Amino acid sequence: MAQTVSTRPAGLFRRVSNPEKRKKRSEALTAYIFLLPYLFIFLTFTVFSIGYAFYLSFTRYNLLRPPEWWGLEGYRRVLCLEALLPRGEDAPPLACDDLFIKKALPNTVKYTLIVVPTQTVLSLILAFAMDQKLRFRRLFRTIYYLPSVTSSVVISLIFVWLFSPLGIVNQLFNLNINWLNDPRYAFYTIMILNVFTTSGTLMLIFLAGLQDIPTAIYEAASIDGANKFQVLRYITIPMLRPVVFFVVTVGLIGCFQVFDQIYVMTSGGPLDSTTTVAYLIYKWAFRDTTVKMGQAAALSFILALIILVFTLIQRRIIEGSGSVGSA
Amino acid sequence: MKTLLKWFVPLMVLSLLLAACQPAATPTPEKVIETVTVEKEKEVVKTVEVEKPAERAVVRLSGWAASPEETALLQSILLDFTVENPDIVVKYEPITGDYWQQLKTSIASGVEPDVFYMDIFQFPAFVRDEVLLPIDDLMAKEGVKRDDFIPSLIDAFSDAGVTYGIPKDFNTLGLFYNKDLFAQAGIAEPTDDWTWDDLKAAAEALSDPANNIYGLGVPADPGRFPIFVFQNGGSIMTEDYSDTLLDSPVAVEAATFYTDFRKNQSGAIPADVGEGWQGTVFGKGQFAMVYEGGWLIPYLKQQFPDINYGVVTPPAGPKGEGNLIFTVAYVISRNSKNPEAAMRVINYLTSEKAQTKVLESGFALPTRLSLQNSEYLKTNPASSAIFRGALQGARPFVWGLVGSDVNEQMGKALERIYLENQPVDESLKQAAQVIRQKIAEVK
Repeated sequence: MAQTVSTRPAGLFRRVSNPEKRKKRSEALTAYIFLLPYLFIFLTFTVFSIGYAFYLSFTRYNLLRPPEWWGLEGYRRVLCLEALLPRGEDAPPLACDDLFIKKALPNTVKYTLIVVPTQTVLSLILAFAMDQKLRFRRLFRTIYYLPSVTSSVVISLIFVWLFSPLGIVNQLFNLNINWLNDPRYAFYTIMILNVFTTSGTLMLIFLAGLQDIPTAIYEAASIDGANKFQVLRYITIPMLRPVVFFVVTVGLIGCFQVFDQIYVMTSGGPLDSTTTVAYLIYKWAFRDTTVKMGQAAALSFILALIILVFTLIQRRIIEGSGSVGSA
Repeated sequence: MKTLLKWFVPLMVLSLLLAACQPAATPTPEKVIETVTVEKEKEVVKTVEVEKPAERAVVRLSGWAASPEETALLQSILLDFTVENPDIVVKYEPITGDYWQQLKTSIASGVEPDVFYMDIFQFPAFVRDEVLLPIDDLMAKEGVKRDDFIPSLIDAFSDAGVTYGIPKDFNTLGLFYNKDLFAQAGIAEPTDDWTWDDLKAAAEALSDPANNIYGLGVPADPGRFPIFVFQNGGSIMTEDYSDTLLDSPVAVEAATFYTDFRKNQSGAIPADVGEGWQGTVFGKGQFAMVYEGGWLIPYLKQQFPDINYGVVTPPAGPKGEGNLIFTVAYVISRNSKNPEAAMRVINYLTSEKAQTKVLESGFALPTRLSLQNSEYLKTNPASSAIFRGALQGARPFVWGLVGSDVNEQMGKALERIYLENQPVDESLKQAAQVIRQKIAEVK
C-alpha cells in the first residue's frame, strides 16, 4: 500500500495554502480510498500470484513436495533445446518435453494467423452492414452479438453436437467428416467456433468506431465529389485505425491464450492436433500424474513474452508511417 | 509467511491463465454437529440424537462425488458409524469437479483431509512423495487383517512390504456381449473358456459393416488395450516402472491382433459410428461385443433397459488370462492428527456390513474375500463375472510416476495406427521413446 501512495506528489498531507491544490489533493485521497478494495484484491491475487508464479518457474514443483530450486532447468525443458539438433536413433532419452516446440507453439501461431484476420475482416464487414440504415437493424445487431454473451462452454458443447459425425453440419452439406476426431479437421472446427463467438463483440467495437467518425468529414468528401469506394478507402478505414489496432491486439492476446473451447471439445487431441500453449500449461500443471508446476509456470512466462513480441510487431505494422494516436 | 505462501499456491498459475480465481478450500467450521439427518431411500428421514462425549476426535473424509445416490449411501453408513462411535466426528467433504487437482492443491497448502480416496493409478506418486501414512501398525491395533482382502487389491496399495491403503471397491473388465446379435448370427454365446481365436471368429461372423454393426469394440483406449498385451505374455511397464515394454515383440503382436479387428472391419472404434464411448454403441446394438467394467451395468439398466446381454471374463490369449483392475482405496494423510480414529472410520467403511450395503445397492464390488460367496453375486451373473476377473490373472491399472503419459502415448499409438495408418511396430516404438523421455524427466 505504502508504495502506491508514495508515487503521488511528495506532500500529500503537507499544508497547502492554495485552495485549488488542496481540493485536488483531497480528491486524490478520496479516489484512493475508493480504489482500496480493488487494489487489495489486485495486489494479492494478481501481483502476488504472478510474482509467486515467477518464483515457481525456477523451481521443480509437483504440489506433493515443497518446491525445490532448479534455476533455468524448467525453461530449458520447455524449450527442449537439444531436440532442435539432429539426434541419432539410439541416443539416450531426452529429459524434456518437446510438445511445446513441436506441437503447441506451431498450433497456436497457426491458430492466431488464421483466426485474427478472419474475425477482424468479418466483424468489420458486419459493422459496415449494421451501420447502414437497414430494416430490422437492431434485431440483427442483437443476433450477431448473442454468441458473445453466451458462455463459451455452452457454445462449445453445442458445437460438439453440430459437428458430430451425424450432426447437422454433415447433414446440411451432405458430408461425412468426423470433424472433432480427425486430426486434419479438429483444429479448424475450433477456429470456426472462435470466429463465430468473437465476431459479435468485435463488430460492436467497430460499430462504435464507425459512429465516432464525424459526419462533417463525409459531407466534405461528398462536396469534393468522392465516390463511395474513395470514401471507404481514404476516410473510413484510416479513421478506424486506432479501433483496428485495438481489435487486432485483443484478438491476438485472446488467440494466444485459447483454452476453454479446447478443454471442452477435444482436450488437445486427436494426436495433439489441437494442443495449444495455454492447454499445455494446464496439462503440465494439473493433468499429469506427476504434475510439473514449475515447468508450467515457466511456459506461462514464455507465453507472456511471445504475446508481447507479437503485439509490438503488429503495432509496428498497423502504425505504418502514420501514428495510431490515442490508441 | 510460509503457510501464507502455501495458501496462494492453488491460485497463482490459475489466475495467470484464466484470469479467474478458484476459491480456496473453505476452512472447516468448528461447530460440532449434534443432530445428523440423512435422507434414506428417498422418503424415510432418520434423525438420531447423539450423546456428546467430552472429547471427540474429528476425522475429515474426502472423495469424489460419483452420484447423489452413492453419496447418500455413504452418508447413511457414516451415520451408523457415528451412532456406534460417539467419540469420533466424521466430516464428509465430497469434492465435485476435478478431484486430483483439488486434492493435490490442498496437500500443497497443508489442508488435506485425514482420509481420502486414492486411485491406484495415482498411488505411486503419493507414495514416493511420502504423503500417505503407513498403516500396518494401525491395522494391527484395529484388528484389520490383510488376508481378509482380495490379494491383488491389497497388494496394489502396498509398496516395499508396507501397506498404505485399504481397498474400498474395484472393477475389472468383462466381455459384454449382445445375446440377440449372437442369436441372429447363429453362433454360440461366449463362455469363460473362450480364447482369442473364438473372439476373432465370432467378431467376423457378427460384423455387418453395411448396416453399421461391428463384432468388437476396439477403442484407442489405454484402459482396454493392455489386457491383450497381458494375455500375450507381455507387460506395459517393467516391474519397477523404470522402463516401458510397449515396443517389445509381444506387445507389438498384441497391438497387431487388437488393431486388425478394425482393419478387417470386424471391429470398430466408437468414433466410426459417431459416438464417444463404446458403452453407448453397445447399448444401441451396433457393437456386438465390448470390453467394459461393472460401470456399464447400471448405465445399460438406465439408458438401454431393453438390451439382452451377458458378461464373461475376457477370453484368454496365447499366454493365458489377463485383465486390468481399477481400484480405489481409503488412505490416511501423514499430517493427520487423529490417525487412530481415521483407521477406525476406514475399518468401518470397508467392513463386511458396509460393503454388503454397497454391493446390494449395485454401486461397487466388495474387496473382502468373504463376500465372494454373497447372495448378490450369485443372483447377478454380470457383476459376478466382473468380480471373478480380479481372481484370474488381473493386474492393477498403474504405470508408475508417469502414468498419465503412458496412457496418453498408448492411446496416441493406437490412434496413429487407426487414423494415419502408421505401421504397428513403428507407432509403438514412437510411443515407447516418448515414455522413456518422460521417465527421464521425472527422475
